Amino acid sequence: MAVPPLSISVRNVHIEYELYSDRRAAIAQRLITRTGTGRSVVRAVRGISFDAREGEAVGVIGSNGSGKSTLFSALAGLLAPARGQILVSGEPTLLGVGASLLPRASGYRNIRIGCLALGMSSQEIDARLPELIEFTELGEAIHRPLRTYSSGMRARLHFAIATSVEPKILLIDEGLAVGDRRFKRKSNQRIRGLLDKAGTLMMVTHSLGEIRHTCDRALWIEQGKLVADGEANDVVDAYTEASER
Amino acid sequence: MTATENATALRPLHTQAPVDRYLADMWSRRDFAVAMPVEQIRASHQDTLLGNIWHLGNPMLNVAVYYLVFGLMLNTDRGIRNFILWLTVGVFAYRLTQASVTGGARSISRNQGLLRSLRFPRALLPVSEVISRLLTFGFELGVLAVLAVGTGEGVSRRWLALPFVILVHTMLNLGGAFITARLNDSFRDVEQIVPYMFRLLRYVSGVMFPIERYLDNATTAPHIQRIFNLNPLVDLINLYRWVFLGLPMELFQVAQLVVVSSLVLMVGFWYFRRAELRYGRS
Repeated sequence: MAVPPLSISVRNVHIEYELYSDRRAAIAQRLITRTGTGRSVVRAVRGISFDAREGEAVGVIGSNGSGKSTLFSALAGLLAPARGQILVSGEPTLLGVGASLLPRASGYRNIRIGCLALGMSSQEIDARLPELIEFTELGEAIHRPLRTYSSGMRARLHFAIATSVEPKILLIDEGLAVGDRRFKRKSNQRIRGLLDKAGTLMMVTHSLGEIRHTCDRALWIEQGKLVADGEANDVVDAYTEASER
Repeated sequence: MTATENATALRPLHTQAPVDRYLADMWSRRDFAVAMPVEQIRASHQDTLLGNIWHLGNPMLNVAVYYLVFGLMLNTDRGIRNFILWLTVGVFAYRLTQASVTGGARSISRNQGLLRSLRFPRALLPVSEVISRLLTFGFELGVLAVLAVGTGEGVSRRWLALPFVILVHTMLNLGGAFITARLNDSFRDVEQIVPYMFRLLRYVSGVMFPIERYLDNATTAPHIQRIFNLNPLVDLINLYRWVFLGLPMELFQVAQLVVVSSLVLMVGFWYFRRAELRYGRS
């Protein structure tokens, strides 16, 4: 059987970011000494390489602060690597629970704005909107401001937005863990549909069961470096063993 | 790597799109650039008792304050025909630039949630800020028209030039918004400084009194005059006064205004885009 084509290729990627709390000192230093050397830089990802193929579901595990979310921001194109390169076959879409789009606007408005930002036209959205709202099962709450939502409700909304354009590459950063059983089942169905259409899924989660259940393959990241890359169950077993030691 | 793998079109994710692609990308998301300001306007006076009436209330109160101070108390209205309209035109035109550029400064810092979740041409955020101010300016143009008719100035054919005037004005505002947006992303302090810059600019742009009165050849050095004359806001406000009051406007001034505004826009866009991949990371 032919191997499906690559959809993501990550080549020796390093990602750094400046610490916001040190910004003042960093600016002062830059202005006074005119050098960039004194900046406080966090090296979150330090030389990671891997490939992912069409139809593949890849889980990413690792302890808190290991660089998983930073890596995903870069995979989504929101953060540029300091070194190395990320190649993709299509526009990636990131689904996270942390950021909320427009906290003061209603869920309904957020779906509209989110879909518009992803490049849908007004007419397309009008056509798809009832189905998207239906999917979120938010009922009357869809007209309440986003800042009043629970994390589970936000996750449903973000999932609806992120999958509205049927992304070729879907990145989920802890997006589903906060959902209830019913939502998990529904979102899993959507993900299956995506994978069947040659999409690629990458997900960060601390729910190891979810990795075993959804993913074929898993990456284990620790301190910004790749520890293991292989069959999902094997990697999860190794990770569990290591963290219980 | 096999031959089939090379055939799949993998492209680098983190490359800056060429200008034409970038602009095309912006154009394809124009609905977003319009929906954002509508959202903002909806949210901006959500918590006030009078709500959206403030879009008209704010500028009119401003005019009232200036009229009291400069018209009645300081008598700067000497020799100015129809001072109330003259003043209102200046205040509204000036406020559009002030609000666009100050808003532009916040457009990146305020939308971190969007920036961290979705990928889209970042320039759309300053653009939608400028559009949002233009929408409010629409109300103000209505006030100006009513005031012009009410004070006996009447409807004029010169009003037909308004689309051109607003276009040039928008180019200037957009350029300014791009510049402050990026500056404020690197140094959050900019947001604090910009209002003072505009307070200063207000006094040298002929908003409340004609600057010519203080720029006579006898007392002001020529190079100072040249600096004052380069200020695009002076020409811009004069242009609006030509439209509503029929005050003299030289073609040379219009040409200078178009050139300066285009330059500000081009430099601003270029400067903003150079940091495209950095927005939203702090």
